[in-house]
Amino acid sequence: MSNKKFLFVYILMLVSVFVVFLFSLAIGLDGISFVDAVKALFGGAVDENVVVMIKQIRFPRIFMACIVGAGLAVSGCVFQAILKNPLADPFTLGISGGASLGAVAAFISGLAAIRSFFIPFCAFAGMIVSVSVVYLLSMRKRFNSNAMILSGVVVSYIFSSAVMLMFALSPENSVQTAFLWLMGNFSSFDERLLPFITAVVPICIIILSLSGNIINVVSLGGEKSKTFGINIERNIKFLFLTASFVTAATVSICGVVGFVGLMIPHIMRKIMGTNNVILIPASAFAGAFFLPLCDTLSRMLFSPVLIPVGVITSIIGGLFFICLLLKPDRK
Amino acid sequence: MIRIENLSAGYLNKEILKKISCDIDKKDFFGIIGKNGAGKSTLLRVLCNLIKPYSGNVFIDGRNINSFSRKEFAKTVSFLPQCIDTSLSFTVSEFIMFGRYPYMNIFKIPSDDDYAAIKKVMNFLCIKNFAEKNINELSGGEKQIVLIAQVLVQETDIIVFDEPTSHLDIGNQNDILEILKDLNEKRDKTIILSLHDLNAAGEFCSKLILIENGSVCRQGTAEEVLNYRDIERVYNTTVVVKTNPISNRPYVIPVSKTGKR
Repeated sequence: MSNKKFLFVYILMLVSVFVVFLFSLAIGLDGISFVDAVKALFGGAVDENVVVMIKQIRFPRIFMACIVGAGLAVSGCVFQAILKNPLADPFTLGISGGASLGAVAAFISGLAAIRSFFIPFCAFAGMIVSVSVVYLLSMRKRFNSNAMILSGVVVSYIFSSAVMLMFALSPENSVQTAFLWLMGNFSSFDERLLPFITAVVPICIIILSLSGNIINVVSLGGEKSKTFGINIERNIKFLFLTASFVTAATVSICGVVGFVGLMIPHIMRKIMGTNNVILIPASAFAGAFFLPLCDTLSRMLFSPVLIPVGVITSIIGGLFFICLLLKPDRK
Repeated sequence: MIRIENLSAGYLNKEILKKISCDIDKKDFFGIIGKNGAGKSTLLRVLCNLIKPYSGNVFIDGRNINSFSRKEFAKTVSFLPQCIDTSLSFTVSEFIMFGRYPYMNIFKIPSDDDYAAIKKVMNFLCIKNFAEKNINELSGGEKQIVLIAQVLVQETDIIVFDEPTSHLDIGNQNDILEILKDLNEKRDKTIILSLHDLNAAGEFCSKLILIENGSVCRQGTAEEVLNYRDIERVYNTTVVVKTNPISNRPYVIPVSKTGKR
């Protein structure tokens, strides 16, 4: 594909993200019209209740979904590249295990009931532990990709067993809320964290996008990659920690949203090719498009019952990917 | 000039090179021969700063290779490994661009100079027509030329090849070696390569070193190194060494045990 084509696809995706954003704003049970929703957002003359609904409830939620989607898709893309493994995702390296353990501990110990702030806090703390363990284990093997994946998988198992143990030992009602959190949803995140995420995640995404050329040479792997004057090991460390941080920041807020980080990079790779310079921003756009869409569907499909957005992402994304696989390859 | 002094190296606790010393002059076409596992690749890896020796030193123009920064070293020595895993579908020009990384800024974003450099090399090697092809769609010979293009855009004076012809047919093999010879003679590159094919080594190399169990068995010109006594002993087989009537270079013919009279 030529540069012009890529630019076209980028613009198309940017427009799609915007359209999905407005669409998600307007859709809801309370019958706010699309025009009113747009007016409310940009300060037009509409009913005050509508303004509150749009600006204070829906806007943060959709905005968060965009950022989380972009963050997860980009970190998935980076993990797949540095681990040289297409099955890697933001959670391969045990990050979700740590998050789950932290959050479940917060729910079960009752900390979550005291202050909802404890949920993201504990989840983030849990992830720092799991990422550090994986980092230290990988360091002994000089960040060899197989060693990294293996230590990630092992850490995941240990942490998820610990979660199961906690579930088994605790009363049912707290298990239910903790379980819903684990599957990921945007209905109850702490809005005070929004500015933090808005600052941190896009900065990391920009850094990772700019590192596309370096990620390319890291994903090339082997001895050859070490002869281009680049410290491969140091770059793997940097990329691993940055991508983990993005994952940790997003997941600690909205739970373990599966699928986005695994499949969005695959789908974009099918469309845009393997060059990470192009692939990483494309994945960011696609994630920012896909997750708000799924979130809106999760609000609407079985309303008033809220279903975890992770369920929707997996079903829709999975079906879409199957369609993409069935289509013959263009040459 | 490269000077190798008392070099010992290996992997983990297995010593492979044992106190090797040799000199490689500027503009040498320097061939390394020896049995499988003799230490040819290990020697090349040490030369390319990919593994650290147990003891001994390597100097390039009087400077210890440990004192080079990664970037500096990548501008001095380039390396073409035996095989390269290219499961990723880069285009040929994207792939060649990796060779320009030592010249780029921190985010490795190519400049006009970098594009000009790869264009020049692709013209020189006549591979412009598959610049946008996927690297995995190429044949073995084409892939090897693309890899050579990649080391050429790196613009180093010393180029190290680990068995550049090992899985090529005789035509492609000669093409590749002719390109290397051209680089050596017309562009003053110092070429260092390991070879299994003794005939190719005899035909193309200006100097040879025969390695046996991690030590230097013999070094010198092709005529000095390719003598039947050393070859028979090192490779534990029977051979006849003759002189190529056209190039006056030595060549080696294997002799079957049952064919011996």
